[in-house]
Amino acid sequence: MTRKVRAEGTFGLYAGAGMLVAMLLAGLLVPWLSKYDANEVGPDQLMGPSRSHFFGTDLLGRDIFTRVFDAVFIDLGTAFIGVLIPLFVGTVIGTLLGISRNRKVNSFVGSLIDGINAFPFLIFVIALVSFLGAGLGSIIIALSLVNWARYARIARTRAVVVNQQGYVEAARTLGYKPSRILFRHIIPNVSSETRAYALSDFIIVIIAVAALSFLGLGVNPPQAEWGAMIKDGANIITLAWWASVFPGLALCWAGISVALVSEGLSRRIREGNQR
Amino acid sequence: MASSEIKSGAPTEEISAEQRIPDKNKIALRRTLLGRLVRSLVVGFWVMFIAFSLLRISPGDPIRLALGTDATEEAVNELREKFGLDQPFPVQFFDYFTGFFRGDLGVSFFSQREVTEVITTHLPVTLMIILLSMGGAILISIPIALSVALSRRPSVTYFFRTSTSISLALPGFFLALIGLLYFGTILNWVPAAGYEGTFPANLKYLWLPAVVNCFSLVPILSRVLHSSLMDTLDEEFVETGVIRGVKKLKFYWSYLLRPSLAPTVVLISYMVGIMIGGTVVMETIFSLPGIGRELIEAVSTRDYAVVQSIVMIFGFIVVFTSFIGDLLGYLLDRRVTLS
Repeated sequence: MTRKVRAEGTFGLYAGAGMLVAMLLAGLLVPWLSKYDANEVGPDQLMGPSRSHFFGTDLLGRDIFTRVFDAVFIDLGTAFIGVLIPLFVGTVIGTLLGISRNRKVNSFVGSLIDGINAFPFLIFVIALVSFLGAGLGSIIIALSLVNWARYARIARTRAVVVNQQGYVEAARTLGYKPSRILFRHIIPNVSSETRAYALSDFIIVIIAVAALSFLGLGVNPPQAEWGAMIKDGANIITLAWWASVFPGLALCWAGISVALVSEGLSRRIREGNQR
Repeated sequence: MASSEIKSGAPTEEISAEQRIPDKNKIALRRTLLGRLVRSLVVGFWVMFIAFSLLRISPGDPIRLALGTDATEEAVNELREKFGLDQPFPVQFFDYFTGFFRGDLGVSFFSQREVTEVITTHLPVTLMIILLSMGGAILISIPIALSVALSRRPSVTYFFRTSTSISLALPGFFLALIGLLYFGTILNWVPAAGYEGTFPANLKYLWLPAVVNCFSLVPILSRVLHSSLMDTLDEEFVETGVIRGVKKLKFYWSYLLRPSLAPTVVLISYMVGIMIGGTVVMETIFSLPGIGRELIEAVSTRDYAVVQSIVMIFGFIVVFTSFIGDLLGYLLDRRVTLS
């Protein structure tokens, strides 16, 4: 690898991180500084982008610029929690399976994991949310119920390898408590793998959260959320393209920034391994 | 498969003497095949069980929720009896399980249609979209992966990796919406409504959903193929091929693609899973009469009898394709060990 390329790789990483930070800052500042309230119904309905409304207004005369950035923490926050819980649960269960010697439990839970993973991700989440009732809480529960199995599968494979490493053997020989070995020696090494997957999963989950709202299974109105805004704008897209395009672009921005960070980090890890 | 053994010149060098013994090979194949089949059946059972249990996690009474708040007590009880929901859970599952093999998945809570009928009418549209997307993605991915792998320039690889990960991060439903606005309303290339089921005519409704699906499929497919090609390029038989001056087309296929295809083919079930999710959203946006739209409709009316069976069918499709994918991967490259 030449030095130039490594600089390019770092560039992508920093560009992605910058995009993400910019979006989070805007999500913090815009709703605070804007002269409109995100849910405030205004007199100008379906006004195109102008100096008073940067992204125009929607069917109820609400300022889309404020709403798009008001949704940042709703969208990214839901996705973040929806990744964090399965990451934690899946890593722990997968690790326990990987180091356990009980073959019956292992093959039973293993086939359950395969069964859950067999469902197409979005379909399973849609079905679960419909049974639990629409809403962000249901989305998080559904994501946790579905996604832990993917993390568990990765963690189990990794834990089998880690469990045989010299440092784990050494810790055992030193007579450390099994719980200490598990949490201080095995899980940190297993989770490096599941955390790497979590980053790429984050992109999928951000899109899935918006897609669920788009299908009418997400937030309750009037809460601003990208998927719900795209859905509201979709019906009037020939009349007012801005009502769905700007929330859509915000969603793309979020996805691309995380993708650049994830790509840059995995590139660093790859090159680190080569050296 | 046209041939069941690897014989295309180059990779023979890679096959160990042990694998050349035909009998042993056949036994191994039969054993792995059987093992995979058993595992798929076990997973298939789980799929059915999970889909069926979904109803139980619902916090409310599904029948009452389905009928609405103003339903009378008698109506609720009557319907509950009709769908066997007054029976204990194991009995219900047994009925559902045996019913499945008789081709009976129950009836819808609302329309009273047979669920099997709903599935057989609407599944072909969805399968057609999946087939088109898959075909398109394969056609696009192979030349991209080949040219990136052969160029070997770090900047090309970097551009390839970055652009594929960006493409993967684009929300399909938003792309579909923009596509519909541009190709449907402005250019008038896509009919705004309606659908024709016959083969060449339905293409004009289905090409755009397939193209949008490709935005997530092509990155996955081409990245796996690319990294697999890079591994193949390090093999000695590729060098031998270059030195022997094998014809271009034969070189690309036998020396590069075929030994690299196995990891891609094994990925097929993963891609089918992604595509099913994407297709559900596509069908809703493009108002196509596929099974995904039925699912969304059933979800919004809380028609659980339909939801559980559609979810189960989708699970089965993935289990089936992952079985086929593993098998194809094994037949394409015997060095792959089935887990």
